[in-house]
Amino acid sequence: MCGINGAFAYHYAANPIDRSELVAVRDHMIARGPDGSGLWMSADERVGFGHRRLAIIDLSPSGHQPMSSADGRYVVTFNGEIYNFDALRRSLETRGHVFRSRSDTEVLLHLFAEKGAAMVHDLRGMFAFAIWDTLEKSMFLARDPYGIKPLYYSDDGWTFRFASQVKALLAGGGVSGAPEPAGIVGFYLFGSVPEPYTTYAAIRALPAGTSMTVARLGAPEPKRYHSIAATYAEAQAFDAPPTPAAATIQAALRESVRDHLVADVAVGAFLSAGVDSGALVGLMRDAGAVDITTVTIAFEEFRGQHADEAKLAEEVARSYGTDHTTRIVTQSEFSADLPRILEAMDQPSIDGVNTWFVAKAARERGLKVAISGLGGDELLGGYPSFRNVPKLVGWLRLPGNLPWLGKLLRSATVPLARAAGLNPKLPGLLEYGGTDAGAYLLQRGLYLPWELRHWLDADLLATGLERLAPLAMIARALEPCPRSAFARVAALESSLYMRNQLLRDTDWASMAHSLEVRVPLVDSVLLKAAAPYAGRFDGRTGKQLLGSAPSKPLPESIIARPKTGFTTPIEDWQKAMPDDPHPKSGHQHLTGKNAPWAREWSTKIARYQICGSAA
Amino acid sequence: MKILALVTDGFGASGGIGQYNRDLALTFSQNSRVRGLAVVSRFGNEKAARVAGINQGGSHAHWLPWSLTALRKALQMRPDVIFCGHLYAAPLAALVARSLSIPLWLQLHGTEAWTAKSPTVRRASETATLVTSVSRYTRSRFLEWCNISPTRVKVLSNTFTAATEKPTRPSALAADLGLSGRRVILTVGRLSAAERYKGQDRIIAALPAVLAQHPDAIYLVVGSGDDRARLSALAQTTAVADKVIFASDVSVEQLPDYYALADVFVMPSTGEGFGIVFLEAAALGIPVIGGSADGSADALADGRIGRMIDPCDVAAIADAINLALAGKQPCDRSAVERFSQSNFENHVDALLRSFGQSSGTIRS
Repeated sequence: MCGINGAFAYHYAANPIDRSELVAVRDHMIARGPDGSGLWMSADERVGFGHRRLAIIDLSPSGHQPMSSADGRYVVTFNGEIYNFDALRRSLETRGHVFRSRSDTEVLLHLFAEKGAAMVHDLRGMFAFAIWDTLEKSMFLARDPYGIKPLYYSDDGWTFRFASQVKALLAGGGVSGAPEPAGIVGFYLFGSVPEPYTTYAAIRALPAGTSMTVARLGAPEPKRYHSIAATYAEAQAFDAPPTPAAATIQAALRESVRDHLVADVAVGAFLSAGVDSGALVGLMRDAGAVDITTVTIAFEEFRGQHADEAKLAEEVARSYGTDHTTRIVTQSEFSADLPRILEAMDQPSIDGVNTWFVAKAARERGLKVAISGLGGDELLGGYPSFRNVPKLVGWLRLPGNLPWLGKLLRSATVPLARAAGLNPKLPGLLEYGGTDAGAYLLQRGLYLPWELRHWLDADLLATGLERLAPLAMIARALEPCPRSAFARVAALESSLYMRNQLLRDTDWASMAHSLEVRVPLVDSVLLKAAAPYAGRFDGRTGKQLLGSAPSKPLPESIIARPKTGFTTPIEDWQKAMPDDPHPKSGHQHLTGKNAPWAREWSTKIARYQICGSAA
Repeated sequence: MKILALVTDGFGASGGIGQYNRDLALTFSQNSRVRGLAVVSRFGNEKAARVAGINQGGSHAHWLPWSLTALRKALQMRPDVIFCGHLYAAPLAALVARSLSIPLWLQLHGTEAWTAKSPTVRRASETATLVTSVSRYTRSRFLEWCNISPTRVKVLSNTFTAATEKPTRPSALAADLGLSGRRVILTVGRLSAAERYKGQDRIIAALPAVLAQHPDAIYLVVGSGDDRARLSALAQTTAVADKVIFASDVSVEQLPDYYALADVFVMPSTGEGFGIVFLEAAALGIPVIGGSADGSADALADGRIGRMIDPCDVAAIADAINLALAGKQPCDRSAVERFSQSNFENHVDALLRSFGQSSGTIRS
């Protein structure tokens, strides 16, 4: 778990790479890896890697990166964890590979030497890495199936650069900061920037579940090696197996949690009053973890209310005997931290503040690694979208076949909705509700496309919408299309909301505190085990399944409690921030009381994060 | 593979685009992957420039016979790849490529690709399997308006043949031009009233500050065009008329002698697709100064070959010239050599190979 970067002057006309730029990019990520740093450059100065280390597995200097293979052919810089590295290592050793360290990093070198790009199929974990092949003069880059670990790159036509963070790439001075309309429009539509775009034209994300090999012609089109939709579609091509869903999935959950505990430092956990984090702590205990440190954040404003997680979390902690801390966050701390939050926020996002504080609390407790329940709602159907999206599509599929009708109705009802103070997304119901992609945009969209003209310059908006093609982008997350509605929503939530928002926010907000967050419910092996049963459970039964997975099940009071998520009183706190910019010409209803509250927050984020985007 | 190249300026045509097309066509014709090459150009004189191994479809200045010739050639030849040498020919080239179900390779040069084009040209460009641009700058400007994956847009820099050594200063020419005993600031470039981007006017404006430090300096403006009167008048009003010498109608053959006169080559342009003149001057060991706001950055190798300045900052131009005249400007000769013909040929080969890999339609 670290920060990585590199540069490759692949074009014959390019200057050798600049060591000082490499160091500047690397050291912009010092919070990602405060335990050490490394730099490697080829003798001809055409390629170089940087690395900042947060030491978790093999704390000795033999885990130092960038790491070269014994014969010097391969060099790797790696961010993440390979949870099955021990099994891979043993299997490689039986085939004659000789290891010099205990690190998972070295496994990557040997595996690549043996399998080349196909190595990614063997990896279980969260990862982003680059391997330089000195003989082939090519660079292989890959990112984990879900996109837990970030990887951004830039190719200006001469030189290829990559880093774990967008802001780090910019800090090197070698990458243009010109805006990307598709990324900016994407932020307003979704509240986070959908990959592969960023808010900068010159920088793209290597998409989750893809790899690429950069050689003398620069960055090629990334190759997909994993797709969440495909996992569901393949699993559902046959009838669900006769084995009971609960037993199979619970076994897979136990295995995932066990594998996620591999570390040479203590592994703690974020604990809320929800089923996901509580069950994981129970499963950690089952896997043999002792003296588990857990943290919960709480707010004065919520004391005694349903949203107050503290009391129930303490009950879970007591039940599993953890060393628990309830950390109170106040408005004044939020205001004091806000400049650092905005600085650490790598790409604009309307979320992440909660993770910032819980990660801060975990680090205060001396943790370097914490388990999070992120991903449970996507896997087990915990979101309202699992009910709402199929329902909407069912109602509106037929009228939705007449696109002009939806547009007409929307044009006619926008003024009515405004006058009546209704949710401003409501007029788009018929226009968008008839397809999975459209209904998902209605459900998750921060704004709908037609509203953006009040915020964005017309040219930027037109270009951004054309490039992003939001409905087509959402629909691509359903290729190939899974059979059950549950699996379709799960694929959408996992490939879009979780990937572009939850996981990305978790990365920057935790790494800013030099804390590694592990997510056992976001795991391709677990997904494969659960996918055949998708649709056999709903949000309620799914959570029951998870809550009863530990040998000592969660208390019924936790399992039966309606979902709140990890909420913060930020809705009220952000009102104290400067109220700028305003939407154009009196369209305050866009952020009025029936609009999603995060709209107001998003404009404040945009003000800091997106240069010149807001009108 | 067989390539049909549709170009504007072909063999026998003058100018940078013509030069590029010829370099590329010759490289194609010598590449072992290429079994056939036909070039259909609009401007040029194929009789004056017959080349073995290249089937030239004649030049047709009018677009209609040019288009018809291109279509006829396509049917006769059944090419595997269409090379389109100019953005404006993209609709025709895309039509041919689509009709034959073969990949399109589109070439970008400079300003033509910097601003949004008609929907027809844009849509045609977006169908290209490969786009090559002479510089990073042109590439990034193209990507601003064309909705195409950046991974399909590559840089293929201009190439040039470096003179082996700097010719001795031709004293007769120096005397003719009144440059004897002077230190010469040189610009080579068109004097176009319509374009006005080469920056000769900004150099004239910088001259007083240069002369204050280097009274023996003189500015030699090589190039023809309808902007000369304006530049002369500017020299008058700046009170440097006697320090500015214009040399028009200099032939390609005479050009090396003019370079040999120079103590510093300056062109603070804002409109270069690439700027091959920087390389030509630097290869002769002349310090060069250019702008940072266009394709010049490539020809200057981001400042390794010559000094890179804000081309609109007159004070920076004067400072840079003064430093160069004071002998304080190193040049990385190895960077100049990167633009050699052999590197260009190897890169074209890699591009042709990638075509074979990315497209199933290539019949080799």
